[in-house]
Amino acid sequence: MKDPHKKLKVAILGSGNIGTDLLVKVLRSSYLECALFIGRSLSSPGMTKAISLGVPVSDLSIDVIMKDPDCCNLVFDATSALYHKHHANILDELGKFVIDLTPSRVGTMAIPAINLRECLHCKDVNVVTCGGQASIPLAYVIGQIHKDVSYIEVISTIASRSAGAATRINLDEYIETTEEGIRLFSGCNNAKAILNLNPAQPCVDMQTTIFAKVKKPYLEKLRNAIDSMVKKIQCYVPGYELIVPPVMENDRIVIMVRVKGRGDYLPSYAGNLDIISCAAIAVAEEYAKATIEKVSA
Amino acid sequence: MAKILINDVTLRDGSHAVCHQLTKKQIAVYAKAAERAGIPVVEVGHGNGLGASSLQIGESLLPDMEMLKTARESLVNSKLGVLIIPGIATINKDLRKAFEVGVDVVRVASHCTEADITERHISYVRERGKEVYGVLMMSHMATTEILVEECHKLKAYGAEGVVLMDSAGAYLPGDVMERISTLVANLKIPVGFHAHNNLGMAIANSIAATEAGATILDGSMRGFGAGAGNAQLEVLCAVLGKMGYQTGIDLYKVLDAGEIAEQELVQITPAPKGISIVSGLSGVFSGFSKHVDRIAKEYNVDPRDILFELGRRKVVAGQEDIIIEVAVNLWRKNEH
Amino acid sequence: MNTDIHDRIEKECAESVYGSVQALSALKGQSVFITGGTGFVGIWIAALVSFLNDNHGFNTNLTLLARNTYAFSEKAPHLARRKDIVLIGKDVRDPLEISEEVTFVIHAAANPDNRQHVLESLKVMDVIVKGTRSILSSALQLPYLKKILNISSGLIYGGQPMELDALPETFIGGPDCNSSASVYAEAKRYAETICSAYRSLYKLPIVVARPFAFIGPYQSLDKPWAINNFIRDALRNNPIRIIGNGTPVRSYMYPSDMAVWLLRLLGDGKPGLAYNLGSPYGISLKELAEKVKEHANSKSEIIIKHMNEDTSKFIPDVRLAKELGLNITVNNDETIRRSIDWFKNSSGLSQ
Repeated sequence: MKDPHKKLKVAILGSGNIGTDLLVKVLRSSYLECALFIGRSLSSPGMTKAISLGVPVSDLSIDVIMKDPDCCNLVFDATSALYHKHHANILDELGKFVIDLTPSRVGTMAIPAINLRECLHCKDVNVVTCGGQASIPLAYVIGQIHKDVSYIEVISTIASRSAGAATRINLDEYIETTEEGIRLFSGCNNAKAILNLNPAQPCVDMQTTIFAKVKKPYLEKLRNAIDSMVKKIQCYVPGYELIVPPVMENDRIVIMVRVKGRGDYLPSYAGNLDIISCAAIAVAEEYAKATIEKVSA
Repeated sequence: MAKILINDVTLRDGSHAVCHQLTKKQIAVYAKAAERAGIPVVEVGHGNGLGASSLQIGESLLPDMEMLKTARESLVNSKLGVLIIPGIATINKDLRKAFEVGVDVVRVASHCTEADITERHISYVRERGKEVYGVLMMSHMATTEILVEECHKLKAYGAEGVVLMDSAGAYLPGDVMERISTLVANLKIPVGFHAHNNLGMAIANSIAATEAGATILDGSMRGFGAGAGNAQLEVLCAVLGKMGYQTGIDLYKVLDAGEIAEQELVQITPAPKGISIVSGLSGVFSGFSKHVDRIAKEYNVDPRDILFELGRRKVVAGQEDIIIEVAVNLWRKNEH
Repeated sequence: MNTDIHDRIEKECAESVYGSVQALSALKGQSVFITGGTGFVGIWIAALVSFLNDNHGFNTNLTLLARNTYAFSEKAPHLARRKDIVLIGKDVRDPLEISEEVTFVIHAAANPDNRQHVLESLKVMDVIVKGTRSILSSALQLPYLKKILNISSGLIYGGQPMELDALPETFIGGPDCNSSASVYAEAKRYAETICSAYRSLYKLPIVVARPFAFIGPYQSLDKPWAINNFIRDALRNNPIRIIGNGTPVRSYMYPSDMAVWLLRLLGDGKPGLAYNLGSPYGISLKELAEKVKEHANSKSEIIIKHMNEDTSKFIPDVRLAKELGLNITVNNDETIRRSIDWFKNSSGLSQ
């Protein structure tokens, strides 16, 4: 698979922190090739980084894809929710597979450990939120093992410095999107999400706790299933770690995980941003494999 | 002498003291007593404000809106207040509904260094023409200079005043004096203070704040609040009166309200005890006390060890889940 | 609704420009380039130029540059459709090629919302500083350039001393540069100094305008400014709350006057000079609240909370502008009346 001709051409729309972190991950991928790194300003730090890495860049925003639709097969959208709503229609018409990293809630929610294969049949998939990526697979396992989950709650704490202006303004969207994801994948209709920003120095790692209420807990079975789910997640989020395996406390199931970032473009305490781009890369690589298989078949 | 605006948190911070189990009757009876005493603002709800009923912080007996509706029915001249912490509650799910019930005053709170997360919520209240204040929780965790910066942000977003919360009851009067006087000198809007009594300093700190120029003070009847409780409102009114400050509150009636609170709400009058003293020393959110107490027993570890470890890890309000992690780690260490 | 808005704005432009059409003839047949073109200033200049083209045969072309051109089409669809107005979506900080025919440039890109100044302080400064440098270096390439108008801010004075009735352009004060509350004001000061460097090094003909406060159509009521809040509360019959004692004095210019002043400064302002742009007619916040209540026919109660003893004032001395023959055609009462009328009928009053 080292043959560069067999790599899938992708474009990254958005040259902010997430877009640039994605770029570093794409450059490392055996299945993906960054055909174009797109922003609005050639002088932004992300652009400067991309240029220094020798990646083709453009400051023409979505227009550059409209002008040359053949430049890529897959588009990562790392702009903003508002822009994604506009981009979604254009990219749909151009027949591009889109992985949306904004909180737009436009596309199908993608949790690679759960619905990777199904996602490939969609046109626009969304990687939910950092807390969603960390907790939904575990909520899904809880829901698989217990049919009577009456309530699920997820609390994430992230380092204050890893939360940029957009994250801070969009806390409400974070909460509502995470809750929607939990409900969708766990089958439990009653879900709550909380996000804390912790300013401690040195910066804290992202940490997520899941509480669940069930009538009768099957702890042993749950522990095994959670262990294998964690292994599955670790395949695409290397910094994902189970720190408190399922226990009962005060009549509730408690599970805790920690997410360390890979430190690609962003510092390693930004596990919250890393997990989002890791999930996006996982979907993209799966799509690439499927496409390449189709071509060679 | 300056006029001091008293914000009564008996029915909000007091929720922490009873694991958020306030009943409809209790809210109605107390709200009526507060109204009679002429208390300007009565804050009502879960201990961590709107939308905070959760496994993390504690589940409320009553839904938020039922608590607010009940209080609303008893309040005429006293204003109905709520606290909201972005990250816990949202505009769509919580704040919008609170306005439908008829809330008059909203206090938007964040951890002391994170004022940026309050912009949307403060603007939302401001745009609806309601009174809005910015609150910095756990304010002992930031330097005075940072508090000034964060208060400037709250003001720019549209807060009519700013309130420093000593959520861990960690301040001594000198700390309060220094912070409040600097804020008053740097801001053109009212500055307030919210005390906790973990180190027995709630009244002394509140008075230090007033002497430094604060014009908003929080208090609760019999100190009914998280940890060792808040500044005891009846005492606060009496002392402020003695010093010549105006609160507009009737002394006899506020004392009566104290009696009513004791009979109707307060199961155990809060006082600085082991856990809350250590909570003040270690700078840990007062609302953690009950969780720490319970979890320490479950894992057979010393609650004071948990608190000092939480303090070392600099946890913020809303991180109650970490108590379990710390207890599990201590337990594992003890086992080996 | 749309034609109503169009007619109303056109009528207001006609009134403000009455008597100065001749004085604006320097702009006839010219091509004007505006950064920040889709903001409050940009929309009003576009409205006034459209009026002059439609009714006085000015034949002036406008190019509006903004990051988000959809916003302009949403706010002012009747202007966005015009042939004499071209929209360009681009970040003002990026290298820019301006069409050779451009003879006048107005640099208006900056966000005056003080919430943004703290939320994204570094970006706010970056846009002002880099944006100013970028537009000036592009303007250097223009062969037929006649004038650049840099829109600065009255905030650069840093506050008005009590002993001054009004701030003259020669007042040398300044914001506290060691405070994050000064992000916008300090960046605007620096941008003026950038202009002076371009004048000195390259002889660029740059005029500076220092705007004070405005109220009227195309503003939004959710801005965190006293008059916007007063109007919103009056229209809803909510209490109008004055946090301090009501004595601070401000002045408000109606935007049709603002647009006329800006175009006159563009045409006739003297390069190297800075001109205050605003109304010299001060009004205390208490008086303002009373007038808003009266004109809105509102049942609102006015509450003066006396929670601080701020007695500041912020009034421009406009003698320099008067020397150019500029004056206020919409008085305080009329400004308030028209603003209320606009907000009553616009979507600015969201529930």
